[in-house]
Amino acid sequence: MRLPRFEYLEPKKIGNALDYLKTYGDSCRILGGGTDLLVRMKQRLCQPAYLLSLKSLGVLEGIRQGNGEVVIGARTSLAAVSASPFVREELPALHQAMESIGAPSIQRHRGTIGGNLCQDTRCLFYNQSAFWRSGKAPCHKAGGQTCYARQDSDRCHSTFQSDGATALSVLDAKVAIVGSKGKRKIPLPDLYSTVGEHPLTLEPDEILTDIHIPIPQAGSSSAYKRLSFRSAVDYPIVSVAVFVRTEKAVIREARIAVGAMGRAPLILLQAAGKLNGKSVTDAQAMDDAVGQCMDLASAFAVDNVGATVDYRSRMVSVLARRAFEEALAEIQ
Amino acid sequence: MKKVPLTLNVNSEKIELTVKPHRTLLEVLREQLDLTGAKEGCGEGVCGSCTVLMDDKPVRACLTLALEAADTRIVTVEGLAQGGKLDPVQDALIRNGAIQCGYCASGMVMAAKGFTLSGAEPEEDTIRKALSGNICRCTGYQKIVESVKEAAISPAGAETRPNLSMLHKTDKAGQFEIVGTRMPRVDTRAKVTGGAKFTADLAFPHMLTGKILRSPHAHARIVDIDTRAAENLPGVKAVLTGKDTSGRKWGVFRYTVDQQFLPTEKVRYFGEEVAAVAAVDEDTALEALGLIQVTYEELPAVFDPMAAMAPDAPLIHEDFPQNINIHVPINVGDVEKGFSESYYVREDTFTAAEESYFQAEPYAVVAKFDADGNLDIWCPNAGPHMKSKPLSNALGIPLHKVRVRKITIGGHFGGRSEIAPADYICALLARKAGRPVKIVYTREENTVSTRQGHSMITTIKTGVNKEGRVIARDITCYMDGGAYSSTGPIATSVPFLSMEQAYRMENVRYNGYRIYTNKPIRGMIRVHGRSFACGIDTQLDMIGAHLNIDPVTMRLRNAREVGDTTCTGSYVGSCAMKETIVKAAEKAGWDKKIDRLPPYHGIGIGCNSVQTGFPMGIRGGSQAFIKLNEDGGVTVVSGVVDNGQGNDNMLVQIAAQELGLLPEDIQLVTADTELTPSDPGAYSQVSTFVGGQAVQIAAQNAREKLFDIAADALEASKDDLVAKDRMIYVKGSPDKGIPLKKVVRMGLIQGRGVTGEGGYWPKTDPKREWVKNPYGQMCEAFSYGTTIVEVAVDPETGQVKVLDVTAAQDVGFAINPMVLEGQFQGSVAMGGQGGMLTEYHFWDDKGRVMNPTMLEYKVPLAVDMPNVNSIIVESIDPKGPYGAKEAGMSIAMSAAQAYSAAVSNAVGVYFDEYPITPDKILEAIHKKQNLT
Repeated sequence: MRLPRFEYLEPKKIGNALDYLKTYGDSCRILGGGTDLLVRMKQRLCQPAYLLSLKSLGVLEGIRQGNGEVVIGARTSLAAVSASPFVREELPALHQAMESIGAPSIQRHRGTIGGNLCQDTRCLFYNQSAFWRSGKAPCHKAGGQTCYARQDSDRCHSTFQSDGATALSVLDAKVAIVGSKGKRKIPLPDLYSTVGEHPLTLEPDEILTDIHIPIPQAGSSSAYKRLSFRSAVDYPIVSVAVFVRTEKAVIREARIAVGAMGRAPLILLQAAGKLNGKSVTDAQAMDDAVGQCMDLASAFAVDNVGATVDYRSRMVSVLARRAFEEALAEIQ
Repeated sequence: MKKVPLTLNVNSEKIELTVKPHRTLLEVLREQLDLTGAKEGCGEGVCGSCTVLMDDKPVRACLTLALEAADTRIVTVEGLAQGGKLDPVQDALIRNGAIQCGYCASGMVMAAKGFTLSGAEPEEDTIRKALSGNICRCTGYQKIVESVKEAAISPAGAETRPNLSMLHKTDKAGQFEIVGTRMPRVDTRAKVTGGAKFTADLAFPHMLTGKILRSPHAHARIVDIDTRAAENLPGVKAVLTGKDTSGRKWGVFRYTVDQQFLPTEKVRYFGEEVAAVAAVDEDTALEALGLIQVTYEELPAVFDPMAAMAPDAPLIHEDFPQNINIHVPINVGDVEKGFSESYYVREDTFTAAEESYFQAEPYAVVAKFDADGNLDIWCPNAGPHMKSKPLSNALGIPLHKVRVRKITIGGHFGGRSEIAPADYICALLARKAGRPVKIVYTREENTVSTRQGHSMITTIKTGVNKEGRVIARDITCYMDGGAYSSTGPIATSVPFLSMEQAYRMENVRYNGYRIYTNKPIRGMIRVHGRSFACGIDTQLDMIGAHLNIDPVTMRLRNAREVGDTTCTGSYVGSCAMKETIVKAAEKAGWDKKIDRLPPYHGIGIGCNSVQTGFPMGIRGGSQAFIKLNEDGGVTVVSGVVDNGQGNDNMLVQIAAQELGLLPEDIQLVTADTELTPSDPGAYSQVSTFVGGQAVQIAAQNAREKLFDIAADALEASKDDLVAKDRMIYVKGSPDKGIPLKKVVRMGLIQGRGVTGEGGYWPKTDPKREWVKNPYGQMCEAFSYGTTIVEVAVDPETGQVKVLDVTAAQDVGFAINPMVLEGQFQGSVAMGGQGGMLTEYHFWDDKGRVMNPTMLEYKVPLAVDMPNVNSIIVESIDPKGPYGAKEAGMSIAMSAAQAYSAAVSNAVGVYFDEYPITPDKILEAIHKKQNLT
């Protein structure tokens, strides 16, 4: 499969990168590891006139701690994030998410965490070759007026399958963005528009530079569980990330995010709230919480990842329960 | 588009070149640097065949821009062996027989090298995980994992060209020195060093890139094709449409002539060939395709076989009413009487969606005419003579001018047997342009526009006596054949034939229907009919449950035995089916486990049989020639083709054995229609039985002549001579022999030059025909196999973990036990793990496959595959060479059956819809819980 033609830009400084982005705007795409973007370009889902490589922007790489938080450069490889002892011990959900992506010794070296967070939404009817999509009207995401995943819908129902985003959603992560109008830092969930056609709230002239994660308090832990058809390579068909903090065997804070069911990670405050103040052994509270996760998440899902909505919905509660069991056991 | 300068460090060499920005590292390595080891198996970063090392870390070259590789150290497979010394990973892979077709090998080697460099603990788990991004379709990963572990633990490395005579051990106390041994394959070294050439690796001066324009509609009339803009695009050297052909239809059988290679009137499936171009490079060819204007008139399409048979269904082929392509009717004995005499009768229906071959190598063709109008053509095939005759007919040139050449082939599994439109199109483009043309399929084209497996609905009615012995069976099977016939009669018959071979059944009725639909073309596939095979076996379990008879006992009571005649009239000359059942059950611990496993654990058994050959008319036999050099080296000339299963090595073993030489003395010229005589090909499972036997006979013929000369020289009787260790001597006096090479020279001087020739034609019933007369001796031997699988099902998610697999097969005689183990392991991966748990195609409402890619069609990965215990059983077939018969297919089928039985046992529900995906398992569990 051949890529379409483009001009290759390799800025040596962030400032230059921003200049390019400002000049070329929407006809320019950022190239990190390329494991998402280049596939979509081969399928002619996007054909940017310019690719802006992050190759020489080493400042975007690295993991550093300080001021009660850990900061991960957006260009840090998935393998490096996963290998970080700090991440493994303090941010288990993130570690597990990194470990689950793609193929252990291959995507992880090229794929970047920033790229994982900024990946496009997916749909079996959309992520196909140009030939496959010919002979029928384009869908909303491809610039058309129809949706093949949900009949006659007036909007796009593509699915966001980023493991990293789901895990970081329960770790109170913020992302730092820089653009021609300056710097800003937003909570990770605000990065996502929930609009399938344009899933990110980034402006065309902006780059994600770092991810800021507060160091979790003592007595807390997190976990990430995902399901896929095979144990590697595949995108998740459903995933759940949880964070839980306890004090004297009582849950003080719980966070739940469900991935691969909607256009962005679903942050289920209400379901998580059902666990606050409950004993860690309160089985009824756990049943209620995970049951509500399933109900809430199923409303968003569409049959476009290769497994039925029914199955994925049921798995939300199974994975949520297992994630909590693991996180609670880890606190012990 | 302007090229930019780029400096690369590849295999420690600094290389300066200019590249267009949109070139990937893979394209630059393969096309600009002639390093063709890294392959494009999928182009989207999933299969791993493009893996190279970048700064010691494995990366996907197909998803890395060439420009991104600047200022890094790139190592490709060609750069691994240092100063003639193989890397320990390469060496281990050779010694352990871990490589089959070799297409995934370069990537696998580099991923393994990355792993060993990382210093991670070489445990089986970590190795499997490290290799889970490299998809192998042939091996089931087991021997690869073993090899990587060995290499990581003891990285001693090895000299290249290991002395093969030191490596094989005699497994059968002195009976044979070469055959029967665990000899490393002769073709592996080239595959693990990136030297083996597959079709897409070939390059010739002035070669053009060909591309095919395909129909975006499942059923449409071609109103007009305007190619003018494409023809005028600079760089385009030839454009073809149906108008450039004779318009004649072709078919594998005289009564299935239904396909034009480039249609002139209508297209019948999404992805069908419509036009083609040859241009100076791929970018131009793609651009030219975009300029071809095709006007279609869409026609109503039908995608379901049952709907296709309805009276108001759109007719896909004029000559085939109700869209019924093939009907195989078999009726033996008295089925109704049998049912009336049965103690218990039941009828069940089993369905399976279609599966796909997913050979590691996407299809490709290279065609080239020389100045004398001779055509040289390379393409993956399962028998070059099956390609040359139709090409000769279609191109209107005699057979001796159509030369289908030997090439390394990246898997076949039944999907590359007959001529493909691409073969003809490529030759035509080459003729029109006057230059060599190469067409390389994308992964999607390989999935959609070559062949797929048939989806099937099988209804089986079986009557048994009180002991569970089958008295009567009535089977109806509807198969979705797709848009054209392909090998329809064979595909419609084999599912039934396998079961009538495996099990005794005297009163049988079978009606197999292959129905046309507007879907991609279906062909013969290694797992012939999941729903059929699993249906028969699952029903035996159901019957056994009703009669309170254990599944193993049910198999034993119905198993085929030697001396039987199958219901369609084939005498069974060798059969160790029962032995495979008993040995597999013993190894798997069946008695200790059945009905005693923890909840949601299950154990299941599957039995199957595969014919070693079928009637092939003029293509039924094989001939071979042997040429001897005056230094004792030998060239074997045979039509046998190697798709990765190890046939080349088999010929070397046989020739060396018969001539008393060593494997390194044997050179092969194989699978070349100019040089090698006709051979049946690999898809009827006769490469060893017929092709190997022809080589055996030719070698014996040469040996006879050598003995004539040596007998005179040694003043001994010819009957007292033996050939061994490169010597010819009187039995019992090895020190008083003559070197074989000396005998050759003596022959040349005496005017008694030694060459060998031989042929083998199996005695089958020449009147047997798939449809008109499906009775009579089908072939001379049948293989028999049993697989037992133990699984654990997660009752909350429906996911299946396979705990143990035992595969036992009666192979007649094991010419190479190590190669056989590889076949068993790969069979379990394809038929069982993939075939029953994850592999199937699903569709949109316009006949498009929703999952044509390596990402969305789930072929098993290293991390999910269990280890397989292999048991080789030898019944020593009276007709097979050394007693050998088919060994590469039976386990694929019995594995499917065993997986289905095991999951059914674990859940307590008999599954009748395949594959058995987690959602189906969960649904069955919930249904059962609601009822209890």
